[in-house]
Amino acid sequence: MNASVRISASSLRAHKRRFAGTFLAVLLGVAFLAGTLVMGDTLRASFDTMFGNATSGTDAVVRSADTITTPGESQGVRQPVDTGLVKRIEDTPGVAAAVPTIEGAGQLIGADGDPIGGAGPPTLAGNWIDDAKLNPYQLAEGRAPSKSGEVVVNRGTAERGDLKIGDTTTLRTPDPVKVTIVGLATFGGEDGMAQVTFTGMTQADAEKYLTAKPGEAATIQVRAGPGTSQQELVDALTPVLPKGIEAITGQESAAENTDMISDQFLSLFTTFLLVFSGVALLVATFSIHNTFAIVVAQRTRENALLRALGASRRQVTVSTLVEASAVAVVASAAGLAGGIGIAAGLQALFPAIGFPFPDGDLVISGLSMLLPLAVGIVVCLGSALLPAGRAGRTAPLAALRETAVDQSGASRTRAVVGGGLGVLAIAVTLTGVFVSPSLWLAGSGALLALAAFVVLGPVASTTAVRALGSPLDRLRGVTGGLARRNALRSPKRTAATASALMIGVAVVSLFTVFGASLKATMDQTVSRSFAGDVAVSTPSFGAGGSGLSPRLAGAIAERPEVDTAVGLGRGVAEVDGKGRALTVTDPAALERAFDLGTIQGSMRNLGTDGIAITENEADEQGLKAGDKTRLTFTDGKKDTFTVRAVYGQSELAGDYVITREAWAPHRTQDSDTLVAVSFKDGVSAPDGKAAVEKIAAAYGNPEVQTRDEYAQSSAGGIDMMLTLVYALLALAVLIALLGIANTLTLAIHERTRELGLLRAVGQTRAQLRAMVRWESVLVAAFGTLGGLVLGAFLGWVLVKASDGASDSAFAFALPPTQLALVALVGLAAGALAALRPAGRAARLDVLRAIASGG
Amino acid sequence: MTTSATTTTTPTRTAARVVDAVKVYGSGDTSVRALDRVSVGFPAGRFTAIMGPSGSGKSTLMHCAAGLDTLTSGTAHIGDTELSTLDDRRLTLLRRDRVGFVFQAYNLVPTLTVAENITLPLDLAGGKGDIRDDEWIDALIDVVGLRGRLHHRPSELSGGQQQRVAVARAFAGQPDVVFADEPTGNLDSRSGEEVLGLLGRTVRQTARTVVMVTHDPVAAAHADEVVFLADGRLVDRMTSPTADKVLDRMKAFEVPS
Repeated sequence: MNASVRISASSLRAHKRRFAGTFLAVLLGVAFLAGTLVMGDTLRASFDTMFGNATSGTDAVVRSADTITTPGESQGVRQPVDTGLVKRIEDTPGVAAAVPTIEGAGQLIGADGDPIGGAGPPTLAGNWIDDAKLNPYQLAEGRAPSKSGEVVVNRGTAERGDLKIGDTTTLRTPDPVKVTIVGLATFGGEDGMAQVTFTGMTQADAEKYLTAKPGEAATIQVRAGPGTSQQELVDALTPVLPKGIEAITGQESAAENTDMISDQFLSLFTTFLLVFSGVALLVATFSIHNTFAIVVAQRTRENALLRALGASRRQVTVSTLVEASAVAVVASAAGLAGGIGIAAGLQALFPAIGFPFPDGDLVISGLSMLLPLAVGIVVCLGSALLPAGRAGRTAPLAALRETAVDQSGASRTRAVVGGGLGVLAIAVTLTGVFVSPSLWLAGSGALLALAAFVVLGPVASTTAVRALGSPLDRLRGVTGGLARRNALRSPKRTAATASALMIGVAVVSLFTVFGASLKATMDQTVSRSFAGDVAVSTPSFGAGGSGLSPRLAGAIAERPEVDTAVGLGRGVAEVDGKGRALTVTDPAALERAFDLGTIQGSMRNLGTDGIAITENEADEQGLKAGDKTRLTFTDGKKDTFTVRAVYGQSELAGDYVITREAWAPHRTQDSDTLVAVSFKDGVSAPDGKAAVEKIAAAYGNPEVQTRDEYAQSSAGGIDMMLTLVYALLALAVLIALLGIANTLTLAIHERTRELGLLRAVGQTRAQLRAMVRWESVLVAAFGTLGGLVLGAFLGWVLVKASDGASDSAFAFALPPTQLALVALVGLAAGALAALRPAGRAARLDVLRAIASGG
Repeated sequence: MTTSATTTTTPTRTAARVVDAVKVYGSGDTSVRALDRVSVGFPAGRFTAIMGPSGSGKSTLMHCAAGLDTLTSGTAHIGDTELSTLDDRRLTLLRRDRVGFVFQAYNLVPTLTVAENITLPLDLAGGKGDIRDDEWIDALIDVVGLRGRLHHRPSELSGGQQQRVAVARAFAGQPDVVFADEPTGNLDSRSGEEVLGLLGRTVRQTARTVVMVTHDPVAAAHADEVVFLADGRLVDRMTSPTADKVLDRMKAFEVPS
């Protein structure tokens, strides 16, 4: 065996403990990464299988060729197909069967009275297709719906809502429909298509509740006769279809669906997780680098002896690197195994919490094996590179000197470089925020700021720890004083240890600040533009929920307590060739319930050929009041509209407003997203609210909220996101903790004799533990403080850059309570990290400690 | 060799003593008897040196008498307190309040100043318990001659100066007894002489008790009395020692009796 390798092997054996922290940091980071990749692959494969199974009987899908896609939506709106085509298709040679598919939004109410789903995945309703081969859902129990009011629901949904066959409940379409469950269905062999809820009704019911007029369907599904391939079927169908209608093969359709799920949900999901495993690994890099730096410093004598005995620089460097590689390879491999374990565990856990995770083996691709391994090894080796180089540069004479403990830190170069980086960071950021608003510039500025913080760490640590620790002397006497001075011993080490925590805390604070700012923005939006007294809405995020009945606003308006009730519906059209979301409403009432800013022209008489536009959009499209513009609707009709009003504030009201009358010919399944209600003068808020609630009860019981409540619930999704983010960042903070614990353990090892002396002259075990604990808390306090400042700055940058890059105004808010909580958690983390090292230090045998070789 | 030749009773009060002290390291065939039924008292107000060749058990005796280590059998006392009855916490508090230490090397906490090192045991005691005697500490600083260095760090002092700080610290709490383990082992002869003179002066001027372990006859000559250990047994005591007399006695050990 090569000498370098032999030396590192024996060193590893002798100092297993020192590398425990490094090992764990790499392992956790790699496990997170591998788990994410394996789970992504597995989910993707499962969805493939599921869609394949579900749609295997469909050989061709007939649908309209054009879609209208509005900005911010990945899936376009397709115009419906005339069901009259079914007959023509059935008569085409090679066709065995053709059925229309009607699809719309429908949210079921569970046995407990609460709506099922709606928090992200779609809540769908459609016609139950009797041709079992063409229906993606298979009847698992009960029977198909045969008369009005009977429905089949997918099993997952029934379980979530605690509904059984024979139960009667309400389906919001959005008008409440009383339905009786007569059957339960599965999708591609699973209890449902992930969390998507599905309610299948009779064709007549579906046409009545889910389409604007009978005779329309979303698509027509076609099954081929024996001997006809999918492609042959499509080729046969294409000539008989009218212009604007296309046929695609069943396989293409399934692939489109899978891609949609992959793009919309899985990619987002895995990217999100990958970002956080990146943060965890970045934090790990600091911890690992620090461990190696300390180990090398502690081993100065040993390395110097090797050099004195004739080992070359290279041999010493290599032996350190071999050590690092051994840790890297073993820890990465363990992390990979751990990641696969996590994925397997989640696969087992998901069904238990009601999220159907398809059965089947884990999919472990080459990439998801190699990438985590490579990243783990690169992170570990990269972190060890500098310390290894330093080990090689050890002077042979160092063997004869007292042990040199790393005391370098605040060099002038460092201060200058760090300061320069800081100034550059601020300059770039401010340019990106104020001068020429650009997310890219602001982002680079943020990265530079991070770098400046890391470089300046050792310079700042002395001052910061001295200041942070000054109360300790008074509060904890000599124990506190010793802790403070121990933390000051090696500014570089203190800073490196704190940096890991700093990054974790910075990301946490960034999200906390950004979340609070989004909430403040939402609040501002509502309080600025919502002039009504109460809002009626159904809480939903993403594609879920079914909205409000368009008749609700009218019913509320009839109450004597109510002055105005205006419902906001949503429509889609192409304005001058660009897909845009329209607000469908009563514009005159809209003006009263919302603050639209200054209005040029009038909202009063838009009629069936008038449109109102926000100033921003009008400027962008080059339109002004009186101009004409062309709208293309989803049914393919093109109409010319006159701009009758240009208003200042969009926010809740949206960018384009047309009347219900203008929209009616082109409507699909109608629903309102919000009804804003103003009371008459002299009506008290509780009375008015009670009156509105009474009406709402008959329309599927949506929530009636005061202005404040509405603002709060609009921000509900932000809290959900923050909770998830915090959970994911817990790992990064845990790794930072391991780093602190590891540094402390190494420091204690280094100070064995000093600790022995302290114990000999009368330091009790409790005092010793307190000393170690306070040192840890001080280092953590430094890291936390840096993280809070950096995070708040990054949050500010993000908010300001978003503000500059988008039309709507973003508010910046610093949430004091949450940030104080983050600080407390950081300090508690420090105390926690010291637990084991302090315990070990306290158990030191006094005599042996004094006698130990220094 | 008999132990009956030496007497364990002394006319004056003893500051520290061990009775029938036995210390065995290891077990079975590999066990080593470091102390073999040693009984010895260290009279209060005196400077006693423990001499003996390497492996004679002199350091073990000191460690056990000072409460840094525990005896296998027998008892150790500081004043009237029997150490074996104390748990770790009480033992620590006893060391802090009633015993002082000077070690061979690495005697000071590098992060504390000279002044802070001197008062370390008192500071560790905090407000509770002993009332700190500032006059005493002030006098002590003059005795060790470090007034000009009070705000220096140990790393800025010479080895001899560091050891003088250690002596001042050992006496700061006015302990019943100060144990010194080869205090001059790492020093050149001039610095060593200073430290030994300091120990002797402090004993005589302030009626303190010092027990010093050494293998250096010159160092032992500073003591009022020397006790000799060999193979874990007490073999002789000598009052008013001189370096020559001690050296002669030591030479006798090299020839097995």
